[in-house]
Amino acid sequence: MITVQNLNKVYGTKSVLTDISLTFPTAGITSLIGPNGAGKSTLLMIIAKLLEPSSGHVSFNSRQISDIKTAEYAHRVATLRQSPGFNLRLTVEELISFGRFPYSRGHLTQDDKKIIEESIEFLDLQHLRNSYLDELSGGQRQMAFLAMTIAQKTDVLLLDEPLNNLDMRHAVQIMQALRRLCDEQGRTVLLVIHDINFAANYSDHIIALKNGTLKFNGTSEQVITETNLKSLYELDFEIIRSKHGCLCNYFNL
Amino acid sequence: MSTTMKIWGSFIFILLLMCFFTFIGSSFDFDYLIPNRLLRLSTIILGSICLAVSAILFQTIVGNRILSPSIMGYESVYLLWQALLLFMLGAHGLTILNISGNFIISIAIMLIYSWALHYWLLPRCKNNIYMLLLFGLVLTTVLATFTQFIQLSISPGEFSIFQGLSYTSFNRSKPETLISGGVVVTICLWMGRKTLPVLDVMSLGREQSMSLGVDHPKYIRLYLALIAVLVAVSTSLIGPTGFMGIFIANIAYALAGSNKHKAVIPIAFAVSLIIFLVAQLFVEHIFNYKTSVSILVNLVCGIYFLALIVRTRGTA
Repeated sequence: MITVQNLNKVYGTKSVLTDISLTFPTAGITSLIGPNGAGKSTLLMIIAKLLEPSSGHVSFNSRQISDIKTAEYAHRVATLRQSPGFNLRLTVEELISFGRFPYSRGHLTQDDKKIIEESIEFLDLQHLRNSYLDELSGGQRQMAFLAMTIAQKTDVLLLDEPLNNLDMRHAVQIMQALRRLCDEQGRTVLLVIHDINFAANYSDHIIALKNGTLKFNGTSEQVITETNLKSLYELDFEIIRSKHGCLCNYFNL
Repeated sequence: MSTTMKIWGSFIFILLLMCFFTFIGSSFDFDYLIPNRLLRLSTIILGSICLAVSAILFQTIVGNRILSPSIMGYESVYLLWQALLLFMLGAHGLTILNISGNFIISIAIMLIYSWALHYWLLPRCKNNIYMLLLFGLVLTTVLATFTQFIQLSISPGEFSIFQGLSYTSFNRSKPETLISGGVVVTICLWMGRKTLPVLDVMSLGREQSMSLGVDHPKYIRLYLALIAVLVAVSTSLIGPTGFMGIFIANIAYALAGSNKHKAVIPIAFAVSLIIFLVAQLFVEHIFNYKTSVSILVNLVCGIYFLALIVRTRGTA
């Protein structure tokens, strides 16, 4: 369980996060939403131990994360930023095997190979296994990086805008995979997401930030209302609910 | 199968090249010519190791394929020191200090410089490697200006000695400098040997490697220290190499067809060995020392480098 207390992050004189305190729910998908510059990615990076907060604490299972070594933290929390190293000459399988680095430090055991195999199957990447990353489309590359993060076998996955620049099909594939990850394996997924409809339809829990402060925090149904979204994005919303989920319309209103 | 064939093939090719280098036109003069050539051959081998390993390590930790460690200003420090020596002691001052003395002092000065960069400047840049690169680049220019200033004050005779020192050459080494350099490099390689998988992960960038449990700041410091030692040894041994490292590293990436360091580093070593051997053969037997290895290699490097930039633009 991840808890943040009185978290502040200041760049120079600009405050990016102001006094954030909350407990992230375990198991299930939690989306961080909010307009640009709300501090979503900053919050995610602080939880990932990639950024130091200016003040405040983050604890993981009641331990301060600043006291946990990077090597140990990698067994508990996996982070994926917008897919890096796109010109690397590595095959998909080689990339996914990096997911086992926290455990095997580069010398793969039989167990590691089994887990790599499972991650490949989980995302249906068998046909891409020997393709090079620099030859893949953006969507396929994102899937490969996600498979690496899954192979890390952590309880918590932190994803920074995993749907960025993806077409609808790949975006849906990724969200469905994350859904299965939570439902079948009981993992916790925390992601920053811009598309409000993906957030509304796939997450259990939504946390909304605006100008560095916590605006809303609740289940998907609680947060996704016309008045909430209007105050968050300063746009008029119409929410159309059907048996398949809900659609947040903000066009031509 | 074909990879083992290629490895053996290049191994035999390098071995033949070395024999050719040692024995061509020597009339098997084991008293003077061949021992001298073996000394040069060992210098080439040690210089190649330093150049290849330092270039690949540097490119991985800064995540950029068109940089070489010389951007950090190590070589400018070396040249400034040589110019200062000439200015203060004159041409015979260098002979008083003798080659091994100069070798050890030069290494020490470059290490002090890099120590100042890594332990004093890097924390002040909040461990931001790009900030450090920027400082390195600015320092390189500042130091080069100082060197030029001194160059204007020394006599033409001293200037020609200085110019000789600013070229890559395999004729300067002595057995004792070679052995001490060899020992230092072996220790470095032994220290770095077990961390090859870490380097592979680091090529994913700072954030992804930290997320995979790599203590990024610690390894950056380790690799910067290793690079500093390797560059110091190679610069004192064979002189500044400038951007030859970029050339060698990029050919190695292309030949390896992979970013795994276990594959790339030995190939880079082989590439630099072949380039240096061929260049030295040309200098000795075709140009009769009328040109230098630097000029030959830099000519080829320069053309390749332009091609590389044009080509990456095409694909980007």
